This record gives sequence, C-alpha cells and structure tokens, in this order.
Amino acid sequence: MMKKTRTAAIAALGLGLALAASACAGGGSSSGGGQSSGGQVTLSFWTNATPGPGLTFFHNAAKTYHTLHPNVTINIQSIQNESFDGKLQTALNSNSAPDMFLQRGGGKMQAMVNAGQLQPLNLTATDQSNVSPAAISTDSIDGKVYAIPMDTLPEGIFYSKDLFSRAGIAAPPTTIPELEADVAKLKAIKVAPIAVGAKDAWPAAHWYYYFALRECSQATMNATAKSLNFSDPCWTKAGDDLSSFLKVNPFEQGFLTTSAQQGAGSSAGLVANHKAAMELMGNWDPGVISTLTPNQKPLPDLGWFPFPAVPGGQGDPSAMMGGSGGYSVSAHAPKEAFGFLEFLLTKDQQQAYGKAFISIPVNKAAQGIVTSSYEISSLQAFNKAAYTMQFLDTVYGQNVGNAMNTAVVNLLAGKGTSAGIVSATNAAAAKGA
Amino acid sequence: MSNTLGATVIGRSRLGKPQAGDAASAASPAPRKRRGRGRLRLEIALLSGPAIIIFVGLVIFPVVLAAYYGFYRWQGYGVPTDWVGLKNYQLILTDPDFHQVLLHNGLIVVLSLVLQGPLAILLALLLNQKIRGRSMIRVLIFVPFIISEVIVGTGWSLLLQTTGAVNDALHHIGLGFLAADWLADPNRALWSLMGIITWKYIGFAVILMLAGLQSIPDELGEAARIDGASYWQVQRHIMLPLLGPTIRIWAFLSIIGSLQLFDLVYIIWGQYISSTAGTSTMATYMVHNGRDAGNYGYGNAVAVVMFLVSLIVALTYQRLILRRDMRGAVTQGVT
Repeated sequence: MMKKTRTAAIAALGLGLALAASACAGGGSSSGGGQSSGGQVTLSFWTNATPGPGLTFFHNAAKTYHTLHPNVTINIQSIQNESFDGKLQTALNSNSAPDMFLQRGGGKMQAMVNAGQLQPLNLTATDQSNVSPAAISTDSIDGKVYAIPMDTLPEGIFYSKDLFSRAGIAAPPTTIPELEADVAKLKAIKVAPIAVGAKDAWPAAHWYYYFALRECSQATMNATAKSLNFSDPCWTKAGDDLSSFLKVNPFEQGFLTTSAQQGAGSSAGLVANHKAAMELMGNWDPGVISTLTPNQKPLPDLGWFPFPAVPGGQGDPSAMMGGSGGYSVSAHAPKEAFGFLEFLLTKDQQQAYGKAFISIPVNKAAQGIVTSSYEISSLQAFNKAAYTMQFLDTVYGQNVGNAMNTAVVNLLAGKGTSAGIVSATNAAAAKGA
Repeated sequence: MSNTLGATVIGRSRLGKPQAGDAASAASPAPRKRRGRGRLRLEIALLSGPAIIIFVGLVIFPVVLAAYYGFYRWQGYGVPTDWVGLKNYQLILTDPDFHQVLLHNGLIVVLSLVLQGPLAILLALLLNQKIRGRSMIRVLIFVPFIISEVIVGTGWSLLLQTTGAVNDALHHIGLGFLAADWLADPNRALWSLMGIITWKYIGFAVILMLAGLQSIPDELGEAARIDGASYWQVQRHIMLPLLGPTIRIWAFLSIIGSLQLFDLVYIIWGQYISSTAGTSTMATYMVHNGRDAGNYGYGNAVAVVMFLVSLIVALTYQRLILRRDMRGAVTQGVT
C-alpha cells in the first residue's frame, strides 16, 4: 500500500518533470532574435537609452532605415541600465539573444567572444572612413572588430564656472597641488568642492584610475591587462596619491552613501543644483546633469577640464581615460543586422545621435554639432591626448574591476590602504577567470 | 491503456476482471474500504502532484543546479566547462570578506532576538490589556511590517543621511552633538541597520505574541490572582511559560530571516559599499561576488554555502528547541 502510493507519487512527479522539460525546450529556438520569411527580416535591438531624446533617436533611425530598406523592420527595445547586463546574459544563455545590443566592451566583451556569442564585423572602406581606427581599436580582439562605437566618452572634471569665479579661481587647475588649493577656496564659499557618488563605487574608483593613469606608464597598464598582476609599484603609488589627496577632504559630506545619478541628492544632482563645484565623470555627465537641474535644462555654466597632472608620474600628463563599447551583433543574427549598425555610423545619423545624447559622435564629419564649451574643451583634450585608456574596470574585466572598485571605496572610507587595493585585485583574480 | 487499467484496482474493477485480493472479488464487508484505498492513492497523487512538481522544479532543482555550477569557474555564458572541483568552496571559506559577512549575520541574528524579543513581549502584554486606543496602537505597530522593504530602505536612507532629517532634528532640539554619519560610519552602520530592522519587524513579533497570549485561557490567570499572585507574578509564571511555543516559533522565523537578510541592506547601502560600512550579509556577498563580479560559478558556490548554513541552523534549532512543539516533524526522522 505504502509502496503503491509512492509509485503513484513518483509517476506524477515524472510526468510533471517531463512536461516542464519539454516546455523549456520548446521556447529555445523560436524566441531567438532575427526571423526572416519571404525576404522580410525583423531584427531586435536592445539599448539602455530610456524614454527621452536618446530612445527617440533610435526609433527614428529604425524608421528611416525601414524606409530605405523596406524588407528590414527593427524593433527597438529599451532596457534600464542597471538591469541591462543581467537580462542580456540570460538572453545569451537561453539562445534568445537580441540581434543587436549595447556592448560594454572590455572583459565583458571578451567573455562573449570566448563563448562564441558575437559576430566579427567586416568593416567596408566607407565604414572605416566614418569611424577612425583609433576609435575602433578598443572594440577589437585579435584584430577582429566585435562592436561599433557610437560616440567617444572621454572623462574629465566637469565644473561650475559660476562657483569657480565666486571662489576666486581664475583658471581650472592643471596639477594636483593646484586642485588642492582650489578645494580650499571652494570650501571657503561653503560648497562641496567635489561631488562623488561613492555608493555606486565606480565613480569613486575613477579617481584611483586617473591617479594610476598618471603614475603608471602606458606599457605597464597594458601589460597588467594581460597578466592581471598588479605588482608594479606605480599601482600602490596611485593609491598613496589618492590617500594624500583625501587629506584635504575634497568630497561632499556623506559621499559614501551618495549615488551617482539618482535624484537631486546624487553627485550629478549636487553639481546640477550648485551644491558641489566639480565632478570627475565621463562625457555622458552633461546629459545626466541636465535632467537634474531645477528647470530640467542643461546647466548653463558647465565647464570641463582634463584630470590634472601628477608631478613625477610615469604616465603622460595628456593621457585620457574613457568608455568604449558600442553595439554588437549576436552570433546567429541575420546579415541585415550589421547593415543597420553601418547606417548608424553615417554622418546624418551621427549628428542626430550626438544631439540626442549630448555627446561627441564618433564620426569626425559629424563632430561639427559640438558647440558647448565643455564639449569643445573635452574634444580638444581628446584630440591632443598622447594615448587613451578605457576605464580600468572595463579593461581588467568585470571580476577584477568589481574588486578594485570596492577596495577604492574602502580606502575612501578610511578602512583600507593603497596596498589593500592591490591585494584585493589579486584575490579577485583567483575567484574568476 | 488497458494495461494501466489492469494494473490498478479501480482499473481492474472497471474492466470487470477482478483479481484475488481486489475489492470486488473479496467477500463483503470489505468492498467499500478497498475501493476507498484505490481512490485514496489517486487522490494523493492528484493532490500532492502539483505541489511536488512545483517544489521540486522551483526549490530542489535549482539547489541541485547551484551545486553543479558551484564546481565550475564560470562567467555565465554558455555551458560551464572549467571544472575546478572544490576550489570555489576553499576560496569562500578562506576569504576574510566572507568571515566578516558571517560575523555580521551572526550579530544580526543575536541582536534581532535580543532587541525584538523582550520588546515584543512587553508590547504584547501591554496591548493585551484593555486600554484606550488599543487597536490604534496595534495598527501603528504593525504598519512598518506591511510597508515594502524598498520603501523602508529608501525612506530610512534619506532620513539618516548626514544632511538628512534625523541629524537636522537633533540639531534643532539642541542635541547636535548626537548627530552622526549613521549609514557610512563603520562603527555605527550595523546599529543603524538593527534599529531599522527592529522598527520594521517588531510589528510581526507583537502580532504573533498577542495571538499567543489570547490563546491562553483567562481562567489560569484568574485562578492565580485568587491565590494572591500579583500582576507581574501572573505574567512571569503563567503567561510567559504558556507563551513559550509562540516565542520559540517567532525566534525560529527571526533567525532564518536574519540569515537571509538581503533587501534592506541592498537598498540602503547599494551594490558596493555594504562591506565597507560593515553591514554586508551572506546574501549581499553572494550578489557582489557572483553577479556583480560576473563569477557565476563562485556565486553559486556561495549560494550553496548559504543554503547549508541555513539548513544546519534550522535543523539544529528544530531538533533542540522546537522538538516539543512539533512532535512528529522532520526531527523525528533525524536521530
């Protein structure tokens, strides 16, 4: 009797599992992105642009492309930035990858390439004239291009010209000692000298990245990207620089629980509302700031200067750091997908892109739309830079980058040391690939 | 189909081919009872089937999968191939960050019991009296428990900022010297968290205790009072011991909740700074070192460790403390 009951239960269980398994298997192939029938192609495109000018740009581009190529329909899908990576990973794992999607680049792109999830892209001569080899180099692995960049995202310090003149600062600082002197002047007029969103870790870590960029030579940085061994003394030196810079208390009160972009209390919000004078950030910052000003318009007195030089460093004082990435084509996408990305690189589209995202388009022919003072300063510095590096958490991969960011936050909180950054990154390398 | 029918009692009786021992072939008065057994089996299968499928599919299967992934170094793309054996577990157990996390979880477990328990019992005793505005107070105490963790976390993190309302209020009432960096100061953050946890979950404990108190017959208290026991003697020697089962169940729920604490910490301290502030838990460690770092294999191993810790604590607690309240539960089989 007991036995039979058990048999019945097991039978019911087995049936259920079989049903569940077949249900899972059924979804696999059909939900995958591109579908073509009778010459009609429907492509999916995932972006982190949220409703606003950015998303409108992509919708318009898809419409225009459909008019030019009536057999191609592109579905633009907007996914919130912080949940983007998780969703994409699930999609890639379950064979339902979108045909085109936002690519973060660096170690993340490397992992996708290793897993055979991306199509190498063969750029035509036209493409190559639209996007310079320098811009595409960060999206290449072993000589093959895996993503198309849309803009250049050089990083530097955004500042409020009004607050600077109120504090009696004539010109933006060019060295760290000058910056420290300006911090004191800004404190005297009772504003936070520098805003940093340490709750999100990476904005704080960017201070360390830049000190490392100034302390370490280009060769050292590239060698470390391969070995993930942070034993060169310049890595510790960069941490020491940051520690000594912290002694002047340059950041806003409670920076550890300040986020980067969310609301008026965020670091971008503090700059937008003249509560803080400076913020070290990538070129997307003006767009973020403009949504946080009281009237939701761009901040009129926003200026930009490159990260100051560090006396005695091995790195070139003109070197810059920035984001890369762009858009990738997934392994099983129809060939029409790449066509759309090529279209996005053309001059008209690039101009529209630059206006929509308030950023510097990657196509040099479209850079004429850059008119605001902070964009002109950053573009000049970018074109003058001896070399550019990607953000270190991108270069060194998500795993090491994540540990490095956390260790920098520890240092800022007074809980860690510059040697701790090095040991944390080495420990992280053991946990992952 | 006919085979299946032939294999079961009901089937055979439907086919009209009863065998020896089957209900229909047996002498009365057995038939009704035997047929009832066949139906019983069917009922068990039908009623428990969906629950078992859901439990196995959504609990057992993921646990097994996590254990499987935990043996790999895996970035989350494609099928895991880089088998590393027990290396992930070795790294977890030797990681100083994980030791910190265990310490935090342990503190949260103990402090939750110590802070919430006595407070909840006192409040329940108070609210068990017939006082004015009793239902109003009950509602007010219970409200924080109903508010979602995200809202509680966001609200408190705004209140407790250095420039937030709490510090402002302290300055205005002349207690400015008490103002502090409640969330970021590593010496204070865990206590701020405990304050929020107590505020949020005390309502649940009070409601449980109240229900326990109200199930105690009035006659016991009355009898004691007639014998001359004071109010406190009645509470101490009659109510409290009879409230025992409720307290033990509440403590069990509190311990498990504390071990798995995630959402409040994640909302208030975000993805990165909980370990800096000293409020990280096993769950935030798992997300930080698994999902955020892209080490899905490692993250799965952490999940397994967390599952084992919770399981061991739960079984030990059931075995040692809940045994008399739950006779015949899991504990009986585990000797």
